[in-house]
Amino acid sequence: MSPLDRYTCDEALRRLDDYLDRELRPEEMRRVQNHIETCAVCAQEYAFEAKVIAEIRGKLHRIDVPASLRTRLAVLLETERMSIGSDGEWTSMS
Amino acid sequence: MQHPTAVARFEDLFLPLLDSLYGTACHMTRDRVDAEDLVAEATLLAFRSFHTFQPGTNFKAWIFRILTNCFRTSWRRRRKEPGLSSLEEAAEQYLYFRSGEAGVRPSLLDPDQWALGRMETAQVAAALQDLPEEYRMVATLYFMEDFRYQDIAGILDIPVGTVRSRLHRARRMLQKRLWQIAVDHGLLPRQEREEEEE
Repeated sequence: MSPLDRYTCDEALRRLDDYLDRELRPEEMRRVQNHIETCAVCAQEYAFEAKVIAEIRGKLHRIDVPASLRTRLAVLLETERMSIGSDGEWTSMS
Repeated sequence: MQHPTAVARFEDLFLPLLDSLYGTACHMTRDRVDAEDLVAEATLLAFRSFHTFQPGTNFKAWIFRILTNCFRTSWRRRRKEPGLSSLEEAAEQYLYFRSGEAGVRPSLLDPDQWALGRMETAQVAAALQDLPEEYRMVATLYFMEDFRYQDIAGILDIPVGTVRSRLHRARRMLQKRLWQIAVDHGLLPRQEREEEEE
């Protein structure tokens, strides 16, 4: 692998967030990946940051929608439906 | 005005997203009652403007944009927003370097001692909600819904570069807040707590 195929530590770490999010151009993705595969220090930092993101996402799971909101939306949309003359029912929300 | 078949199509697209919309609204408003009002307002607005939605395009991004606009126009001034305060100067990869400085990085990576792993959902949610609004909005869409930068830019009507810079900063601020919460609640490995107390 040529040095031109990979970034230095500074260059790789500057792109770490975008690399984690897969928001770099393919060529940049490849250069960061090549660096991480050959640099244990940056590989550890990458693994750490990836774990932090995964932990935060895992903790911020969906919050259950309260029954009061489901009922409110059902009434609200049923009212709208009646105003346009539909004979259907909003049964799936209740 | 909607045609009845459009009503059914709206339901098909909207109902699977209700949990996501409510969860995001909770983090935007930082209040569950306000979140209910916000979702109700956004749902009504989305329903009434559904004829403007282009079939085949991203409905989720479309309705999240409506939710965000409702929040901006109706809710943002109702509550005092947190300022930048102590989170403003959070360094890059805050947790990584802070735990390294404290000599507890290996134990932080141990699943049994990992402070973030031991945190309650409510503590992580509180950390997110402590971010100033412009950072909280981007971070909520990123962490809760896994939106791409381009989608977030469309929802918030800001350039992709702004999404990138706000999200990078939001991550640093969030990591710093999580560290503070871990210290406050005694969730760091023992050796770290002793250093923090010195």
